[in-house]
Amino acid sequence: MEHEAPDLVCQLDSVQGMVDALTAVRWKRYQDAVLELSEHGVVLIVEETCCLQAKVYLQRELFIKYEYRAQGRPRFGVSLGLLVDCLNTFSVPGHSSVIEIQYPGPDMQLLLKSIDSLDACIYAEIRTRIPDTISWDYSFESAGGTPLSFTVKAAALKEAIDDLEWPGSSIQITLQPALPSVSFKGEGHGDLQVDFMYYANTDLLIAFSCDREVSYRYKYKFLRATTSNMPSSVIRDNRGSKLTIGRGGMLKVQHLVSVARLSAPHTHIDSAGYQHPSRIAYIEFFVKPEKDGND
Amino acid sequence: MKFKAFLTENGVNLLEKRFLPALDKMGKICHLYLTRDHTMFLHNLLNGDEVQSIAQFQKEALFDDYRISSQNEDRIAFTVDISLLHRAVRSSVSICTEFGSGHTQNRLQIKLVKKLPPNSTQPMPFLTFETKGYKSAVIQDVPISKPLSRSQVLELQNALDMAQDLPQTLVQVHDLNRLQNFVDRMKHVGDLLNVSISKYGDLYVQISTTLISLGAEFRKLLVVGQQADEPAEDRNLSAQTRSTKAILQGNAHSVQVNVRHFAKSLQCHLAKPDCAFYGIAPQGACLTVIFQFFIPGSRQTDKSISLHCRLPVLDPGSS
Repeated sequence: MEHEAPDLVCQLDSVQGMVDALTAVRWKRYQDAVLELSEHGVVLIVEETCCLQAKVYLQRELFIKYEYRAQGRPRFGVSLGLLVDCLNTFSVPGHSSVIEIQYPGPDMQLLLKSIDSLDACIYAEIRTRIPDTISWDYSFESAGGTPLSFTVKAAALKEAIDDLEWPGSSIQITLQPALPSVSFKGEGHGDLQVDFMYYANTDLLIAFSCDREVSYRYKYKFLRATTSNMPSSVIRDNRGSKLTIGRGGMLKVQHLVSVARLSAPHTHIDSAGYQHPSRIAYIEFFVKPEKDGND
Repeated sequence: MKFKAFLTENGVNLLEKRFLPALDKMGKICHLYLTRDHTMFLHNLLNGDEVQSIAQFQKEALFDDYRISSQNEDRIAFTVDISLLHRAVRSSVSICTEFGSGHTQNRLQIKLVKKLPPNSTQPMPFLTFETKGYKSAVIQDVPISKPLSRSQVLELQNALDMAQDLPQTLVQVHDLNRLQNFVDRMKHVGDLLNVSISKYGDLYVQISTTLISLGAEFRKLLVVGQQADEPAEDRNLSAQTRSTKAILQGNAHSVQVNVRHFAKSLQCHLAKPDCAFYGIAPQGACLTVIFQFFIPGSRQTDKSISLHCRLPVLDPGSS
């Protein structure tokens, strides 16, 4: 028996927040994820071969305890579905349960256990695997010059993308500086175009940065993956999602998910301390454009 | 063969708000078994691979003016669709509340009848609900099966007798909601649930697959029946280790059941029991859950109502 200290022991008091954040990148039933541990936190990465990648950043500030002892950055693979379903069993509605996560266990497992009650304990061991070799490079580079980006209310973005299901196929995203606007245009079983005019919809299109017209096409199903499992807390909190177009038309979609501890609605005095601004998980999707981009 | 009785207000409440919703979850069809003193709702008693549930009421708990007669020691049994029964009781209740004002006696009568259904030449058996209002009467016929023959009733009675064996150790679970919540989420992870119960008052439920093991441990539960003290040195070990040690030392039993069966049996909390006892029947024959009901406003067991489930064991385990 080895008694080496594990690479990571951390404790979390908002399981539901973590479930929400991880669910956001769950776009199909069987999905392999890679977890990367570092002194800054935990990053979870999922990919669809060469087209779509998503990352969830769980910074160490989200955890009530974060003891990191590894050399380098340990990486391991787990099934995302299993991890989410498992974490979900720890989340008790109406309670904020505290869990401890440890890696590795004696057999390289990911170990989880609830630690908020002495007489009832939930525990889990998830088998991990050696992650696949270097993933396809999604390094995102700015397109140069003024960043091409806009921030839109998450609910509006989701609604627009849901609406575009009908034409399906591929969706063309166009940013125009002259009449500052963003348009999503679907052509497939018919045409549908959703426009966000910056001056007309400042409550929806919160920020807009663009100095030249750009237009790229993205596969609908990948675009949809970026919003299909958006946690309801994102919409409830009325958050914005930021979309940036990088070199070669690579689209970056960023969401913010609250990982705050549940606090009863009437204990607002207490909650001031808990609702730390850093209790946010960052979620990023990278979507590659279809080949016929006209940049 | 005759059966006629009036449901009491308490009886209506018990059935409409509590037991029928719970029993409906256990399965659509059940045996209704009436004797001189008891009314029983029996699920899957003649079928070993589903959850058996046995709900028994003393006649006074549900009825007054209870009259039953049959040539088979005044025992009558038939199968009935619980959801139809529930619907009939529910609408009778709404008729009573709608038309019943003041001291009008709105009594709900249940009667076993044979009637000629429309478009049929064969009379069919029904359980008839008759609600008498001030000026009107509403009659609802719930179709039932042909009453069971003498030998079928005997078979049912035997199965019922067999289902009464008590586990040697029972542990008490108070927070059924929490357990149900947990098991409902656990269902996504796997199908086979290991349940282990120790004489120390520990209950473990665990799912293990090649990729994950996920479990919960409930400690320091009240033990009824055989009990033992947990060795002090074991108290700080991990849940899995403690459970394994207790089994090795003969202080715990473990069985494997279908997680869906386990979740289903927890649906019995719709009947609003005050707590539940879990135990493993001798020889690991089944996992038994006994729901306990208190006399309202007291901590005394209401002996006129009983409900228990027996979950088929998939693997005899370590018993």
